[in-house]
Amino acid sequence: MTSLTNTADAAIPELAGHQRRLLIAGGVGAAVSLAGLFFDVRQFLQSYLMAYMLCLGVTLGCLALGMVHQLSGGAWGVVIRRPIGAAARVLPVMTLLFLPIAFGMNRLYGWTNADLVAHDEALQHKHLYLNTPFFLVRAAVYFLVWNGLSYFLNAWSLEQDRTAEPRLARRMQRLSGGGLLAYGLTITFASFDWLMSLEPHWFSTIYGVLIVGGQGLSALAFLTAALVWLSRRPPLNRIVVPAHFHDLGNLMLAFVMLWAYFSFSQYLIIWSGNLPVEISWYLHRLQTGWRAVGLTLILFHFSAPFVVLLSRRAKREPDLLVKVAIGILIVRLIDLFWLIAPEFHQNGIFVSWLDVVLPLTLGSIWLACFIRQLRGRPLLPVHDPEFESALGRIIERGAPPRTAH
Amino acid sequence: MADSLQPVEDPSRAAAIRTPAVIAPGHTFGTVTDKISAIVLARKTPLGWYAGFGTAMFFTLLLLVSLTYLVLTGIGIWGNNIPIGWAFDITNFVWWIGIGHAGTLISAILLLLKQTWRTSINRFAEAMTLFAVACAAVFPVFHTGRPWLAYWLVPYPNTMNLWPQFRSPLIWDVFAVSTYATVSLLFWFVGLIPDLATLRDRSQSPVGRVIYGMLAMGWRGSAHHWHRYETAYLLLAGLATPLVVSVHTVVSFDFAVSIVPGWHTTIFPPYFVAGAIYSGFAMVLTLAIPIRAVYNLEDFITMRHLQNMAKVMLVTGLIVAYGYLTEAFIAWYSADRYEGFVPLNRMIGPYAFAYWALIFCNVVVPQALWLKRVRTSVPVLFIISLIVNVGMWLERFVIIVTSLHRDYLPSSWGLYSPTFWDWSTFVGTIGLFLSLLFLFLRFLPMISIFEMRTILPEARVGE
Repeated sequence: MTSLTNTADAAIPELAGHQRRLLIAGGVGAAVSLAGLFFDVRQFLQSYLMAYMLCLGVTLGCLALGMVHQLSGGAWGVVIRRPIGAAARVLPVMTLLFLPIAFGMNRLYGWTNADLVAHDEALQHKHLYLNTPFFLVRAAVYFLVWNGLSYFLNAWSLEQDRTAEPRLARRMQRLSGGGLLAYGLTITFASFDWLMSLEPHWFSTIYGVLIVGGQGLSALAFLTAALVWLSRRPPLNRIVVPAHFHDLGNLMLAFVMLWAYFSFSQYLIIWSGNLPVEISWYLHRLQTGWRAVGLTLILFHFSAPFVVLLSRRAKREPDLLVKVAIGILIVRLIDLFWLIAPEFHQNGIFVSWLDVVLPLTLGSIWLACFIRQLRGRPLLPVHDPEFESALGRIIERGAPPRTAH
Repeated sequence: MADSLQPVEDPSRAAAIRTPAVIAPGHTFGTVTDKISAIVLARKTPLGWYAGFGTAMFFTLLLLVSLTYLVLTGIGIWGNNIPIGWAFDITNFVWWIGIGHAGTLISAILLLLKQTWRTSINRFAEAMTLFAVACAAVFPVFHTGRPWLAYWLVPYPNTMNLWPQFRSPLIWDVFAVSTYATVSLLFWFVGLIPDLATLRDRSQSPVGRVIYGMLAMGWRGSAHHWHRYETAYLLLAGLATPLVVSVHTVVSFDFAVSIVPGWHTTIFPPYFVAGAIYSGFAMVLTLAIPIRAVYNLEDFITMRHLQNMAKVMLVTGLIVAYGYLTEAFIAWYSADRYEGFVPLNRMIGPYAFAYWALIFCNVVVPQALWLKRVRTSVPVLFIISLIVNVGMWLERFVIIVTSLHRDYLPSSWGLYSPTFWDWSTFVGTIGLFLSLLFLFLRFLPMISIFEMRTILPEARVGE
């Protein structure tokens, strides 16, 4: 069992190299996109917001899934607990990366324009909520809550590794209960603030839930890809079996369906009501070139992953599953593009080179930070109360026999 | 699923987080079978059963009287009016359909999620689902005013060349609810077959042997039978899973696709589904707690079950509270005067008492479930479950009546108050529900015998 308690760095020496290369890529990307900042500040901020929301979605989605697993248990969570923790520990960096949005908010959000508000009765009504100081205070509160949750859960997890104190499991459970509630509320209002208020007249009560579902899906897709990569290297190559991928595949399927359910519900209700304020959001998306993006989402954010993930073979085949997971991460980006970009280009579809470069840049920086966090701790939580029952059998006797169905 | 990574029971985790077992220690295959089948076959019917069944039948008769009078007179005997065309009838319909959701959730989703604690409660939760759907169906059918023409709701080629309006969620309701009833019935019956065979083999009376024998459909318990059975049961679970979501989603569309302020809001589908599961689990607790006390089933329906159900109630209750919060916030945020009026009218309008009672029952009281002391106290859980049942009924009443009674034009505002017949029909369906439940408890095994045996330590072959 000694090798199980080695840090990831010792188990997989190439991690350091990957971290360095990703950081260089991120640096180059940042330099290139800074050039974009000089040409078109607004376009830069718009693409940056999209890229940022994807990375934040993976981070917060991992934090939330970790808390869900604390409460629900299950073997699926034991093998990804360490990647979950490492992803959640990228939150301080994500907090810093929010600064460009805070500084650029005047160019992103129409409601910050005093002239516009002065001539708009609805925006005057909303001014109580949509104003610069309150927006920033709220953002500070969200980051405080998220960082606090991530800090305590990770600190206790580290202590659990060292001391094997059983009371820590109980303490993490307690925090996770309230933590999930806090996550649900903060991310709802954060999505209203950062995304929904891009079109300040429009509103939809399901919006927060839609974003939560999207974050869960992004996090699961990322964790699946990470687990496939780790399962080919020690020590997880001795531990991960097809059934683990099967569980993750099922969870991804569930979240794909949830996303489709939320999106369709929102569309059907707004379409059938056909009220001017609400339908306008869909009008400039569906009656212009943006329609193609909508169809892409139906096909590749729902239909394709849904059909593939129904198959039992696909869920147990890491080579195939990792493709689905990466595909899902890409369509998550397209979904955020669909939520954000049409507000800036209402007359027709427009894709900027920054929409490609900035997600790659932020993604590389995020991944480098993730690897850095992963390296410092063992890849398996050997003192998780479930560890023995979930994985102990497998380690002792090899994988359990497969039965058909 | 067979290739689950999770063991049947998880002793290390259970110890670490100090949860009680799903079945009390000391039981064997024989004692489980004896204890459950004896309720139906051997034990004398308790006097309390006659008293309970008699009372329930009294209210069932009240339902029959109310419906007869309704058919003879017309739905004018109810308090419904213009603008409040939907009132008690639809409130009760949504309430009963919601209660039914726990059955499907427990039987299908918890089965697929490999939650072994579902085993001792799934049978009567499924029965409860069926009875609740039956009670629910009463209301829309009689609300049509001419229930003998209710078959017009079903699309079929006819000489009048008339078709239902397929764009209306009301017609989706017909499909959703009838599919739900069919699949729930099949699921329940298929799950019963091996136990019906046990009753056939153990029954002392010739009549019992014949009836249970016919219902058991020739079950012999061969390996072949079991193989087919497992496959069929899993497939039915898969089929039933989308129904947990679809039925109440369609019910929420009944409201949300309109443009009535207070109804037309995008959070309705997930929030209705969560509310349905919330009320369903509350009803399962309301029934399970007295049943386990009367029939001494504490060994099978353990504190673990009650605690888990309490947790599901807490989670779904929080989702429902989240729904109230976003609804109220967005109503203000929308800057639309009609939207903004809805929450204000609910809070300080003529039905304010119902709104605040609903907040108390659905949001305030269930917060006690955060405390382990509350989750482990049977009487407190029972009281909370009753309060949630009331709260979820009030929620539907508030959504339906307060949204309709004051919409866009103040000149067409109105008020609704229930008549005697509104109340008698509602109470009558509770009577019908309980009568069916009493019959079920008396004549069928209320806990799945063979599934209980699979969670015994004896069943862990090769571990």
